[in-house]
Amino acid sequence: MKAKEAPERFRNPIGRYIILRDPDLCTRCGTCMRTCPAGVFSVTDKLALRPRDWLCPGPCESGQFACVQACPAGAITVRANPLLNTLGDFRWPAELILDTWEMARSGRTPAADELRYNLGNSGGGFDRMRLRFPDKPAKKVDPAKVDLSIALNRRQHGQPLTIGVPYYGGGMSFGSVSSSTMISRARAFASLNSLVCTGEGGYPTVLYPYDHHVITQVATGLFGVSEETIQRVRMVEFKYAQGAKPGLGGHLLGDKVTASVARMREAVQGSALFSPFPFHSVYSVEDHKKHVDWILAINPDAVVSVKVSTPTDVDMVAVGSYYAGAHVIHLDGSYGGTGAAPDIAKKNIAMPIEYAIPKVHGFLRDEGVREKMTFIASGGIRSAHDIIKAIALGADGVVTGTADMMALGCIRCGACESGRGCARGIATTDDELAQQFDPEWGAQRIFNLFNAWNSQLRQILARFGLTSITELVGRTDLLTHLDYESSELAHDD
Amino acid sequence: MTDYAKQIIASRRWLCSGQIPSAKQAEEGGCGVVGFACNVPVSGRHIFAPSMQMHNRGNGKGGGIAAVGFDPDKLGVSREVLDNDYLLQVAYLQPQVRRKVEREIIKPSYTIDHQAWAATIDDYRDIGLDAEPPAVYRYFVRPAPEALEGFAKDRGLEGLSDRALEDEFVYQTSYRLNKRYYASLGDKAAFVLSHGRNMFILKIVGYAEQLAQYYKLEDFRAHLWIAHQRYPTKGRVWHPGGAHPFIGLNEALVHNGDFANYRSVTDYLRQRNIEPLFLTDTEVSVQLFDLLARVYGYPLEYVIEALAPTTELDFDLLPQAKQKIYRRIQASHIAGSPDGPWFFIIARNDPANNQFQLIGITDTAMLRPQVFALQDGDVQIGLVASEKQAIDATLESLAAEDERFSPIADRYWNARGGSHTDGGAFIFTLKNDASGPTLICTDKFARPIEIPSAQQCRFGKAKPTSIDHEHLERLLAEPPGDDTAIQLFELAVERTADWTFENLAAFCQALQGYRANSDDHKQTALELLTLLNDRKYPVGNKKPASVLEWIRQTLRNILLATPKISDQSTSRFQLIDCRTASGLRPPADGEQVLVIDAHDFPPEGPQSDASLLVGAAELGWKRFIAFNYAGQRFLGCGLGPDTAGIRIDAYGSVGDYLGSGMDGLELHVHGNAQDQLGQILKSGKLVVHGDVGQTFMYGAKGGEVYVLGNAAGRPLINAVGRPRVVINGTCLDFLAESFMAGDPLNGGGFVVLNGICLDQSGNLEELPTPYPGSNLFSMASGGAIYVRDPHARLVNEQLNGGEFANVTEEDWNLILPYLQENEHLFGIRIEDLLTVYGVRRPFEQVYRKVKAVRLAVLASMIQDSED
Repeated sequence: MKAKEAPERFRNPIGRYIILRDPDLCTRCGTCMRTCPAGVFSVTDKLALRPRDWLCPGPCESGQFACVQACPAGAITVRANPLLNTLGDFRWPAELILDTWEMARSGRTPAADELRYNLGNSGGGFDRMRLRFPDKPAKKVDPAKVDLSIALNRRQHGQPLTIGVPYYGGGMSFGSVSSSTMISRARAFASLNSLVCTGEGGYPTVLYPYDHHVITQVATGLFGVSEETIQRVRMVEFKYAQGAKPGLGGHLLGDKVTASVARMREAVQGSALFSPFPFHSVYSVEDHKKHVDWILAINPDAVVSVKVSTPTDVDMVAVGSYYAGAHVIHLDGSYGGTGAAPDIAKKNIAMPIEYAIPKVHGFLRDEGVREKMTFIASGGIRSAHDIIKAIALGADGVVTGTADMMALGCIRCGACESGRGCARGIATTDDELAQQFDPEWGAQRIFNLFNAWNSQLRQILARFGLTSITELVGRTDLLTHLDYESSELAHDD
Repeated sequence: MTDYAKQIIASRRWLCSGQIPSAKQAEEGGCGVVGFACNVPVSGRHIFAPSMQMHNRGNGKGGGIAAVGFDPDKLGVSREVLDNDYLLQVAYLQPQVRRKVEREIIKPSYTIDHQAWAATIDDYRDIGLDAEPPAVYRYFVRPAPEALEGFAKDRGLEGLSDRALEDEFVYQTSYRLNKRYYASLGDKAAFVLSHGRNMFILKIVGYAEQLAQYYKLEDFRAHLWIAHQRYPTKGRVWHPGGAHPFIGLNEALVHNGDFANYRSVTDYLRQRNIEPLFLTDTEVSVQLFDLLARVYGYPLEYVIEALAPTTELDFDLLPQAKQKIYRRIQASHIAGSPDGPWFFIIARNDPANNQFQLIGITDTAMLRPQVFALQDGDVQIGLVASEKQAIDATLESLAAEDERFSPIADRYWNARGGSHTDGGAFIFTLKNDASGPTLICTDKFARPIEIPSAQQCRFGKAKPTSIDHEHLERLLAEPPGDDTAIQLFELAVERTADWTFENLAAFCQALQGYRANSDDHKQTALELLTLLNDRKYPVGNKKPASVLEWIRQTLRNILLATPKISDQSTSRFQLIDCRTASGLRPPADGEQVLVIDAHDFPPEGPQSDASLLVGAAELGWKRFIAFNYAGQRFLGCGLGPDTAGIRIDAYGSVGDYLGSGMDGLELHVHGNAQDQLGQILKSGKLVVHGDVGQTFMYGAKGGEVYVLGNAAGRPLINAVGRPRVVINGTCLDFLAESFMAGDPLNGGGFVVLNGICLDQSGNLEELPTPYPGSNLFSMASGGAIYVRDPHARLVNEQLNGGEFANVTEEDWNLILPYLQENEHLFGIRIEDLLTVYGVRRPFEQVYRKVKAVRLAVLASMIQDSED
């Protein structure tokens, strides 16, 4: 798959500006079309189309809107789109959403300042951290030659498994999202030689062509888990807890348990489904070892990942997972989670991921097992900068979730769990709503976004003078935190 | 609170620094625990066998044992000194500090009657240890009179009885030593391992059996032993201070589990002037126990109640008088009650009552596995462990050395945590009197568990005479037909009650000869012995466990006599074991059954018997007999989808996760099974001729399952699809929580719960209630439970979301075929199930249905709005 234009699927996408052309004044001279570098205008002598204002990136180089200046008839007006005041939230502000959509459309990084599409406005977490670029890299590196791949298996047992990018797709179950969404993600991640996790809702047959790039999730409800689904794949993920709702089980409300979801999970249509917390068979580290052994008894080649949230003793859990024989420890912080996760859990339980990552990294290192364990972080990874920050703090790679949804056109309305599900047909299993987009388009959008991220990642690493993403692990010296350091920022100049 | 308790607590004010870390030092988990109490002293090697099998319950980073009740000569002291002195054992992590510790603390505090280094082997590396175990110095002491007097005065403890004062003196002196030389130092120097009377504790960084080897305990005898394999998650451990057991005063405690409320428990203790020094929840557990038992002076029953409170329906079913007391205990001590998964084994010397005790207590929610067992014959032994195979391994080891022991216990059972029935705890008490100790087993409420006395005879120890059954002998002389095994079984059980062990020996010998005739004979002999192993039948005045030993040993010998796969033979049976595993090959023409001797296989991993079986199935083997199990896990896992046509018969102590993931095959367990059985079971048939452990069929999707006995906690949680299960006994609690198995009348799943057991003659007996737990079918949205409850003992309070319904003709027709198969498998006749007080009743008067109700909060809003 290659990056290529994948336009928004709605007729009038949301843009930053509202650009109006007064038809009474317009002479259809075509000046605007020739002036605008973004292709907003389309005018022929017969017809002038409604300006495609969502394409307007902002004032031109002159600092003015050239179209307004240039129009001989004074027919064009530009004003800010008031919708931006309601779009998004502190974690995903409107600007970040719009730029993410643009990356998903074009496959390229936006022309704007990179902080615009790499920061949220949450006042904490990754949003208070900045990259500290050296004036001159220690070594001249060609961005095109930067290696983004990471190894997921660093232990003696199980098959080797390396992915082409330092991230893979987090678990989203069939039931929480539509099959079009699942296929879109699977295709995109397969094209990147990465992986995508099934989530806890079974292994739909539509994923079979992507077996090589699928992670089977074994979660506390054990929905849809069978020997077959464990044997199909190269990697199996235990979901002990989810950062968005640590200490709570999963819960799929009755409305989303449609006939097809019920069939996949072998349950009753219309009745809510529970995943308990915790695993009823695992109440200790030793039980956990037995649990890992079980998966290896079913699929001896599997790479086993252990996904946990970030309680204060998460470092112990990480070391325990190493001794249990897991390959990957996956820490899920609380910044992620869809609308279905209760706010009280998302906002109040467990440790922020930016504290948990260095803690676990250091603890594993002190134990002398850091090199044998792959350490993955997740929970609110929105951008290339977030990836860089998580890895510089000590992780080997990250897992994405919400960003993939954004690429598909999510508007962050937060109503994922209610009624028939997502109005945009992403987080739904409603037959009608799920028809809204074609997986080919979806895959292209997700691929495009990641393609833009990859080029940013390469640029950033080159600016640091690093030739591989693996060299970045634990380089906290390349970060600064606005609350703790008064030092000037590389970006500020 | 008594004045005594107030005095003691006040006297400890100085012990607290106020700087108590709120977090545990290391998480640890499941751990393997085992303990036994025996009326004859037995050597330390027997605590080995189970602990070796429990390696996968530890990680070699902490092993410990405690022993109680010694032979004074072996310790170089008189009986009087052994009984009256405190046996102070100090671990010197830095041996050079010993003189200083003695000068500063031990000599000023104590009169020393005897002292010596604990004997060790020369080099710890010889037995594979990485970290040198601490040098242990052993002192037999009494508090020095002047020190004791000063202590009483300083601490305001005047007026205490002599022994009570001495006990507290020892407790606080050890605390002082630990604080000074352990807790306050970055580099730990020394700590007190134990200080109780006639008991000691040892711990190392390693496995428990390495400890026995290092400290030369293999031939050292004691009445009571407990052992622990630790699984700390902190990797670099250089000394065993954090290993179990921990000491109270005269009791040692090992622990399997992990508190969720460590902070709350330490706060509770801090309010009573106790601070942890080793920062593990095991240490605070024994601090709690000592506080409740010695300081507050609670009887054991109340101590147990304070630790594991009785709740829900169980509380309501307690007698009024008990409720009144328990409510007060709970009100006072709930903050100190450990929450989360835990299981304690406590070894205790109770000198005031001249007895030793082994106590097992499980938490109210029964989140850790536990098994108790009792053998009462020529010798008496009570055992408790986290896994049944640990008990079997101990008994096997004892039986191999001493023929008074039998490799099979007379009784095995689980405790039901926080219950009104047994209280979730059992106590083995060795009462000492002039003729030596006698073992008594009681539950929390002091109700005894008794084994009827009967004749005992070990396998091979009776001289074969004759079968004394003409008809049986005649049939054994004929060539076998299809149902010969059943005919032989029916003939044999006509006589089993009257047979002497000599007759039984002759019968077993005859079967040995019989099987040698041909493969058909062998097949018949195996079927017959399997029936004799699985079924109950009258055995007269012989011990059932003894008869079973003869049957099982004969069966094992016949299986062991199978031609090896590496040898040239034309037999339909081929034997493979750990040593010959590399010789696995596809079945040749006529070869049908792969017999796997599982005994020496590792418990998991690519070299395990379970992996071998997967490989064999890939090569075309379909029929397996796997025997000699010693806890090996994952049997029947990994075979993948569509395995119909494969059948496995398993004998021995099979391990956890058996059949978890089964999709099509048939698996018969001829005995008790363990935990996590049949998880995510998709299809196929699972038959257990015994009990099953915790979280049985968690997340199962289907399958046909028959259990002769009971299920422990949390069976069928989160099961979906169409599992169809018959449980003839009962379950501890949480049966079918979040059951989502559709509409049973339209292809969904169900559980038939019979609530019965079979007596030794095979007659059906009703259990006091078909389901004792407080949570049945909670939050279930599909499926059903059909429960045999002719006396309507189940009440609405036990349901949390379900509702009772009548069993209709349609329901009965649905479950009837499963009851017929149940009859076929276990000999439990439908006729008998429908007979109540000797009267045959219609099914709807005997069975009740528990079905799902549509709860508004769970149901689809859309559908509701359309309704």
